Amino acid sequence: MKAVPETSVVRTKRKRKLFSSIRRDVLLYVLLLVPLTYIAIFRYGPIYGVLMAFQDYNIFQGISGSEWVGLDVFQFIFEQKSFYRALKNTLVLNTLDLVVGFPAPILLAILLNELWHTRFKKLAQSVLYLPHFLSWVIIGGMVYLIFSTGGIANSLVTSLGLNEIEFLSRKNNWIVLYVLVGVWQNVGWGTIIYLAALVGINKELYEAAAIDGCTRIRKIWHITLPGIKPTIIILLILQIGRMVSIGFDRPYVLGNSLVSEYSDVISTYVYRIGIGAGDFSQATAVGLFQSVVGLIFLLTANYITKKVGEQGIW
Amino acid sequence: MKRKSWLSYVLALSLMMSLLAACSGNTANEPQSSNTPQTSDTPSEQSAEPPVTLTVGIFDRGIQGQPDLNNNTWTRYINENFGKANNAIVKFVSIPRSQEVDKLNVLMAADEAPDVSFTYDGATVSRYAKIDGIMELDDLLEEHGQQLKAYLGETVLAYGVYNGKQMAIPAKRTALAWNGLFIRKDWLDKLGLPAPTNQEELYNTLVAFRDQNPGGVDGVIPWGVAATGMNYTFGNLAESFWEEQTEEEFVTIPGWLRPGNKDYLRFLNKLYNEKLISPDFALDKTAQQADADVTNGKVGFFGANWDYALRQHISEPLKANVPEAEFLPIDTFKNYEGKYKKVAYNENGINVIIPKSSKNAELAIKYLNWMADPEVLFFLQFGEEGINHEMVDGIPQAVNQTGDNMQTSYLNLDYTLVVNGVELGDEEKNVKALAISAPGLEGLAELSYKINTTDTYTHYFYETPNEASIKFGKTLGDLNKQMTDRLIVAKPAEFDSLYDQLVAEYMEAGGQAVMEENIKLYQAQEQSKS
Repeated sequence: MKAVPETSVVRTKRKRKLFSSIRRDVLLYVLLLVPLTYIAIFRYGPIYGVLMAFQDYNIFQGISGSEWVGLDVFQFIFEQKSFYRALKNTLVLNTLDLVVGFPAPILLAILLNELWHTRFKKLAQSVLYLPHFLSWVIIGGMVYLIFSTGGIANSLVTSLGLNEIEFLSRKNNWIVLYVLVGVWQNVGWGTIIYLAALVGINKELYEAAAIDGCTRIRKIWHITLPGIKPTIIILLILQIGRMVSIGFDRPYVLGNSLVSEYSDVISTYVYRIGIGAGDFSQATAVGLFQSVVGLIFLLTANYITKKVGEQGIW
Repeated sequence: MKRKSWLSYVLALSLMMSLLAACSGNTANEPQSSNTPQTSDTPSEQSAEPPVTLTVGIFDRGIQGQPDLNNNTWTRYINENFGKANNAIVKFVSIPRSQEVDKLNVLMAADEAPDVSFTYDGATVSRYAKIDGIMELDDLLEEHGQQLKAYLGETVLAYGVYNGKQMAIPAKRTALAWNGLFIRKDWLDKLGLPAPTNQEELYNTLVAFRDQNPGGVDGVIPWGVAATGMNYTFGNLAESFWEEQTEEEFVTIPGWLRPGNKDYLRFLNKLYNEKLISPDFALDKTAQQADADVTNGKVGFFGANWDYALRQHISEPLKANVPEAEFLPIDTFKNYEGKYKKVAYNENGINVIIPKSSKNAELAIKYLNWMADPEVLFFLQFGEEGINHEMVDGIPQAVNQTGDNMQTSYLNLDYTLVVNGVELGDEEKNVKALAISAPGLEGLAELSYKINTTDTYTHYFYETPNEASIKFGKTLGDLNKQMTDRLIVAKPAEFDSLYDQLVAEYMEAGGQAVMEENIKLYQAQEQSKS
C-alpha cells in the first residue's frame, strides 16, 4: 500500500468504500455479530467483577456496597505460602504439558499424514479424537479404576513379579500419570489444525523431492515441517500465554490429598478460597494476578517470535 | 436468489436471538421451575391466592435405591399437613452431603439459598452472621415459634446465639454418642481371639486378620478406612495417645500440638505400611469404596458414627453378602489414665439458618414450629404403624423400607431439622427406642450407644465467634485432612521430619492465629463465668 496524503477527498472515498463493503458483505457482518455479542457479554461483561479484588467484598452488599481496601487483599495473598505453592505447581504442570503435550499432536498429525490408506486414516482419526469428548470426571473414574492399588495396571505389574506401584498416591508417579493422561485426552483433537495445515502444502514439492531421491524422513524434515511451521508457532505462543492458567477439572479430579503438594494449582486454590471459604475478594485477586501474568507471558512470547523473524499473532 | 438471501438473514438473526435467550435464560427460568408443584397433590383449591413455595434444603447422601428426595412418603406428608394448612408448597432443594458448605456458599452468593438452609459448621454460621447474610430470628421465634422454643429449650437455643443474637436454630440432639468402633465378631470367634482392649491388642488382632484371613476373602482389609473427613474415622485412637494437659490447653490448642499426637499418627503410619488399613483410603473421597469393602465382608474392623454398622445401607447388603457376618461394637483405645476417653456431641445438632434474601422467613419459622409438634415428629421419624414401624412394649421399632418409604438418614434426621436422634418425649423411652432402632441388631445398638457415651468429653462452645477461625477455618480444615492422609502413607523414615514440617505449615497458615484468639476468648469467657 502506498502512503497517500490524507486529503478530505480520500477520506470520504474511504468512508464510502467502507460502507459499500459492509453493504456487500452484510451477511458476514451479521454473522460476526454473534461471536462479538458472546465476547461482549461473557468476556467483557464480567470484567467489572475485578473490582472485588480491591474490596472487602460482601456477597450481600454487592460491589457498590462493599468496603474498599486498596491492595490489602493482594498483600494478604502474597504472604500465603499456599499461594506460592499453587503458583509453582501451575507452572510446573503447564511446563510439563508444554514439553510433552505440545509436540505430541504434531508428531501424530505427521504420522497420520503419511498414511495412504484413506479409510484407515479416517478411522484412526476418529478413534483418536474420541477421548476429547469425555468429561474429566469420567476420565478420572477410569484412571482410578485402572491405576489404583487393586487396579488392572497393578495386576499386570504384580503378575510380572514386580512390586505394586502406587501410581496415584506418590507425587512423582502422579505427575507422570497426570501429564500422560492429558496427552491421551488431547492428542487427537490437537491434530485437527495441523492436518488442515498439512493439506495446504503444495503436492508438487513432494513430487520434486521424490524425483530428487529424498527419503520419507527427508521429505518430512524439509517439506512437511517447514510447511506447518507458522501454525506451530502460533499455537506455541497461545499455549505459552496460558502458562499461568490451568483447567480446574483435570487437577481436581485426578488429585487427592496425598499428592496435594503437587496437585493444588491456582484453579483449585481459587475454588477452595472462593467457593469453599466464601472469600470472593481473595479468589478474584488471585484470578486477576493470573490474568496479568498470563498477558505478560503472551506478549513476551509474541515479541520473541517476531524478533527471530517469524510472524507473531498480531 | 433474493429469497435465499432473505432466508439467511432470518437464520443469522435467529442464531443471535437464541444466544441472547440462552444467556438470560438463567434468571428467566428460575421462578418458573420453583413454581412447578413437585408433589403429586396440589394445595387446597378453595384458597384464592396462589400457594407460596417454601424451599427447604435436604442432604443428598447418594444412597443406593433412594427415592426422589422431593417426592416420597415424607415430603408428601409434609405438604399434605403443613403445606395445605398454610397454603404453601414445600419444595426440597438437594445438597450433596459431601459439599455441605461449598454448595451453601454458592447458593448464598447466587441469592438462591433455600428459605430453610442449614449447616453443621458453626464457623460458617458465624461468617454469615458477621457479613449480615442471615436473618436475626429473635422476634420471629417469639411471634411464630413458641412451640419450637419450648421444645428446644434455652440450652439448645444458646448454641445458635452469636454476639447476643439468635442467628441460627440448632436442632436438639437426643443421642449424644458420636463415633463408634466395630469389629467382626465372627472373625474373632473363628480365630479364638478375645475382643481387643487396648492399642497393642488391636494391633495383634489386625495382624491376625491379615495373616489368617478368617473370612477367606479376596483382599482382606483388617481396618477399613476412607479419606479423612468422610464417615469413616479413627474413632478415639488420637485421644488414647494424648497425654495430660490442662483444661485451658486442651480447649485452645490444636490437636497437632498435643503431646502424644505424633505417636497417634505414627501408629497409623505403621499400620498403613504393614498393609493393615485400606490401601487406597486416601483416594476414596466419597467413602463408597470403604462402604463396598465393609458390605462385601472384606473389612475386619472400622470406626465411623456410633450406629454406622447398624444402618440400613450397611447392615442389609452385608447380611445378604455374608450372612454370618456380625459387627460387634467395642472400646479398644485406652489412654494413659486407663480410660477410653472419647468425644461426644453437645446437645445441639444441625444449625438452621434463614438467608436474608428469603421472602418466606415467617413461613420458615412456622414450618419448624409445626415440626416441633410431637405427633409430626413421630410420623417423620417412625412413619405409619404396621408399615414403617411395629409397636413393641409401647416403643416403636422401625421396619427397614425401600423405595418411597425409605429413610435416607437415621430416623429421617435430614427431614426433621429440629431434632437429631429419637424423640419420643422422654429420655427413658428414647434410650429404649434407640436400642431397638436397628431391627435384628437391638442388642448391638444398645451396647454401642452405651460404650460411646462413656468417658466422654464435649467440644468447648465459644460464645463469641473466633474471627481468625472464620477467616482460616476452611483452609485449616482442608489442611487437617491432607496432613492426616499424607502422614499415614509417609515412608516411616520420613515421618518425623514430615510431621514437624506440616505442623509448622499448619500453624503458619492460620493455626497460630486461631489458637491465639482461642486463648483470649477462652480466658474472657471463663472470667465472666466466675
